[in-house]
Amino acid sequence: MGKSSRPARKQGPVNDRQAKIQAAAASTSKGPNKIVIGTVVAVLAVIAIVVGAIWQQNSKTDSITDGGKAVPAGTSMGAGFTAYADATLKAGAPTLDVFEDFQCPACKLFEDQMGPTVASLAREGKIKAVYHIKTFLDDNLGNDSSMRAGIGALCAADAGKFEAFHDATYAGQPAKEGEGWTDAQLHAFAQGAGITGTALTTWDECTKAKKYQNYLSDLEEVTFKAGVKSTPTLKLNGTVLDLNTLVDSTGKAYDPAKFTAAITAATK
Amino acid sequence: MNARVKDVLGLLARLILGGVLIYAGAVKVGKPLTSQRAVQAYDVLPYDLAGWVGLILPFAEIVLGLLLVLGLFTRLAAAISALLMTIFIVGIAQAWARGLTIDCGCFGGGGQVTAGETAYPQEIARDLGLVLCGAWLWWRPTSIASLDRVLFGASKEN
Repeated sequence: MGKSSRPARKQGPVNDRQAKIQAAAASTSKGPNKIVIGTVVAVLAVIAIVVGAIWQQNSKTDSITDGGKAVPAGTSMGAGFTAYADATLKAGAPTLDVFEDFQCPACKLFEDQMGPTVASLAREGKIKAVYHIKTFLDDNLGNDSSMRAGIGALCAADAGKFEAFHDATYAGQPAKEGEGWTDAQLHAFAQGAGITGTALTTWDECTKAKKYQNYLSDLEEVTFKAGVKSTPTLKLNGTVLDLNTLVDSTGKAYDPAKFTAAITAATK
Repeated sequence: MNARVKDVLGLLARLILGGVLIYAGAVKVGKPLTSQRAVQAYDVLPYDLAGWVGLILPFAEIVLGLLLVLGLFTRLAAAISALLMTIFIVGIAQAWARGLTIDCGCFGGGGQVTAGETAYPQEIARDLGLVLCGAWLWWRPTSIASLDRVLFGASKEN
């Protein structure tokens, strides 16, 4: 239909206008109109999708802008936190960037087996250890424990106990990924890290105010954009250090000697 | 195959494709960051656009799934779903071909995994099966227990 030059069929619609009238009459006589229902369904579908996407975006934005906007001492927005900062760096010591999420089981494995080596190298000034605390697992696991532990670590840093809190939290990682920690557990990690008295009260206030939430949310985004898409990730002088090259002959455990060798090789 | 059997097959195709879509969408709701990063991990779209796709996709999947399960505008919903699955297959295949090591993020999760954890052949095979369900319904959208039939009559091709 649609060509006015077309000859009229016998007993059929004589022209377009008539055809439309007939079609309209037919549709009203046969119950629901498909075009009306189709329009309603399409509108509802678009509304559902748009409202849903915006709601998701807002819930994400809230988690970023909600809470404190402080930046930890000694670092800046988008940059990691340098641990063992009181150690005197030896000449030519490489920078080791560590990207970890407190809830990540593979990070715990790394910390359990390699943490002491990293710590001693850093204390001796043989590496500059920079920790980039990631929090992406919160979204995936449906809790906020990575963020709360991360804020706890930076609040501990205010008391000079970042490293001890960091180690205590990995030691206390729940066996089942996703269980997270209660506030009381994190408080116990702070105590275990040697934060006491008024410093502990300050730590409690710091975590309650979520003092470093904005810094951590921003850091998560910045590191992902920079290509850190899984944890743990290590970078030695800015180059990704393939963790598969650090395992022992069984292939199941890290070999601290290989790590030390990699550090030595990177020392100028 | 008589019409009755084909109608029942149509119902099965609707429930399988629609059910999978609803499930796939529902598990992503409430996990916006994970969903965005799953899309960004394919490394095809610009970062921000991929982020929006990640936010929209769960709800689009749920809407399409609901239409299929209800049997409303089956042909259109099936055609869009089959197209969507085809896009997913292309996305997975390009990731595989480029040597990326990602989880498809089809049912939540997603993002980078270790080389031994990829499951590209299985993911593509599953999506191919779903494309077939969509193709069947596009070719023959009529089925039993559908709103199309209730609202628009049995004889009409929807």
